[in-house]
Amino acid sequence: MLNLNLPTLASSIVKSGATTMATTTTQQCYVHPVVLFSVLDHYLRRNDNQERVIGTLLGVRSDDGRVVEIRSCFAVPHFETEDQVEVDMEHHRTMFALHKKASAREQIVGWYATGSSLSKYAALIQDFYSREAAPFSAVHLVMDTELTDGQLAIKCLQGAPIGAGAHPENCMFLPLPYELQYPDAELTALQAAADSKDSEEGYAVLISDMEQLENSIEELKAMLVRVTAYVQGVCRGEEKPNNVIGKYLMDMLAVVPKIDSKQFSTLFQTHLQDILMVAYLTNLTRAQLNIADRLQRIV
Amino acid sequence: MAGETKHAKPMTSLLNEDNQLAAFDASTIPKQLLPVLDVEKSVALKVVKVDPLAVLKIVKHARESFPTSVNGQLLGLEINGVLEVTNAFAVPTQLGTEEDMTNYQIEMIQSLREVNIDSSSVGWYQSTRLGDFMQQPLLDVQASYQASPSASAVVLIHDTSKSEQGGNLSLRAFRLSAAYLELARKESFGTGDLAAQGLTYGNILEELPVHVEGSSLAKALVAELQWPRGVEAELLAEMQRPSSFNAKLRARRLADRSAVADDAEAADDSALLPARAAAYLGRPTGALGLDQSGGSLSRQLEAISELIDEHVHDANQWMYWKRGEAKVKNARAQFVQRRAQANVAREARGEPADADVPEAELDRMFCPLPEPSRLDALLNTANLNLLTKGVTQSRGPALTKMFMAQGLHEAN
Repeated sequence: MLNLNLPTLASSIVKSGATTMATTTTQQCYVHPVVLFSVLDHYLRRNDNQERVIGTLLGVRSDDGRVVEIRSCFAVPHFETEDQVEVDMEHHRTMFALHKKASAREQIVGWYATGSSLSKYAALIQDFYSREAAPFSAVHLVMDTELTDGQLAIKCLQGAPIGAGAHPENCMFLPLPYELQYPDAELTALQAAADSKDSEEGYAVLISDMEQLENSIEELKAMLVRVTAYVQGVCRGEEKPNNVIGKYLMDMLAVVPKIDSKQFSTLFQTHLQDILMVAYLTNLTRAQLNIADRLQRIV
Repeated sequence: MAGETKHAKPMTSLLNEDNQLAAFDASTIPKQLLPVLDVEKSVALKVVKVDPLAVLKIVKHARESFPTSVNGQLLGLEINGVLEVTNAFAVPTQLGTEEDMTNYQIEMIQSLREVNIDSSSVGWYQSTRLGDFMQQPLLDVQASYQASPSASAVVLIHDTSKSEQGGNLSLRAFRLSAAYLELARKESFGTGDLAAQGLTYGNILEELPVHVEGSSLAKALVAELQWPRGVEAELLAEMQRPSSFNAKLRARRLADRSAVADDAEAADDSALLPARAAAYLGRPTGALGLDQSGGSLSRQLEAISELIDEHVHDANQWMYWKRGEAKVKNARAQFVQRRAQANVAREARGEPADADVPEAELDRMFCPLPEPSRLDALLNTANLNLLTKGVTQSRGPALTKMFMAQGLHEAN
């Protein structure tokens, strides 16, 4: 059983265990959330009696191949029995060709699988994907869909050859530090998904910006209350002071811009006028449109 | 140990063989699935339910090709008035012919079917930048989707820059209204037709509510992403930002780039989260270029003034036509009158009256110009309406944020 989420340890292993193969080792991996959702969806749609699903990971690499960003993925049908594994390569090739048309930059960077432990054919599949991802090494992403320990663990691994001869069956999977990446646009989508998780009906209704802002302000207020309670607790000596939290608070207070009162009120007034004017003009336009529309129906 | 055999082998096929379809027995279907067989579509579409996976795919595609407008296919199922969108795929913009496009989509759907993904198309999505998506091509494509009465296809409109700026997902589902489809079928968009069908700029498209709902596993994943195991320990152990997306999103929503103190601040973003430059790799230029310069509002206003110009132009053109029509009508009335007078005069002189000119002849003699199609003007108005509405709505949060900043300042 591989234990992960130890970035410092992991990278040291990668360095010391660096392979002598022609492939360049990957050292850092970024994962886009859409990949994780795709894997889960694939797992949910697996065939009967199928324990795990696999698929191809697509993404981009830095020029030296040390940093890899996994941007999307697609499912590949496969079939495991006691003594052999079949992977539908035709499907893999077709899908990759189709993907290329839509997003030309994305390359094959590795493969994913689900399950709490590595498949016994992982080495074989890894060998195949290493060739696909050449000249770089392939990344293997494992998602624990069985929710061992009540958490959905995500691991990134990379293969390193062991033993004297280069046998495809001989492969050691080394942990690879990874970080999830949230571009601003995706955050909003994830927020919607999070709302659906918290709502009682099980789905999220998209709400207006104003309501969204209101929710944010409520959250902010709750946070302020919590921080205030903590600070007062520390001041009274009831709570044990924590330097790290103190540092955070300092940092936060320091970034509040110090603006001269007079300057602020000028800025405030100008912006207020701008906003009101824009609102007035757009409302006027809308009223005009409405009138024009009604008139036209009379004519 | 046997070697790996890598050869093509279709694992599953959702399509039944013909003979199996013939032996299809409706009574074996569970009751809750019966509405699927509702081929007549007696139940109107009420709501669009989108899986987070589809949302993320749309968002990713739109973000990567920003500011170009992109589109793609939606896959899913319609059941009992609820349209479930479970997956989506991008359609490349630079594909040459129509045939290439169709082939690409067919191939993609077939490949996805092999891995048990819903293979029926339930519509398409399009990204927009300013919110003026009401364009002729969009209506035409959607009309072709809605061509058969049983097709419950929607178009999802995603506004990338609005989502990024407001920190609030902007995803709207639309269908063409019956009134528009009726007029489009007849290809007549005269003033009279519009009035008769009651088609105005506001009801070309009908909006459907969008719900976002994922599987339980997806919800577990979101929970994991929000508060990864051990994040608190990590937070305390070192000065590191949590990988939770909550903090970042909150900061995004509270920050108003066009609000107070453009020059003096640069702090609103970092005010809420400890700054740590994220190590992005090959960050797409679009991500940085996404209307973050506060120029979004001015661009919107520019677009609005352009549309107003166009609107005035359209109105003038219509007035011109109206004048022309009135002139012709006038001439015709005068002609008839003159003739009647002449006849009266003849009768007075005891001469036989001229036969009345038949209506058809009159129509031929005084043929008014055909009315120009009002569709362009209508779409223009609809866009103008969308844009102004967007701007008006964005002012509310802007005002709120300004007063928040004031409160903060006074507390200092």
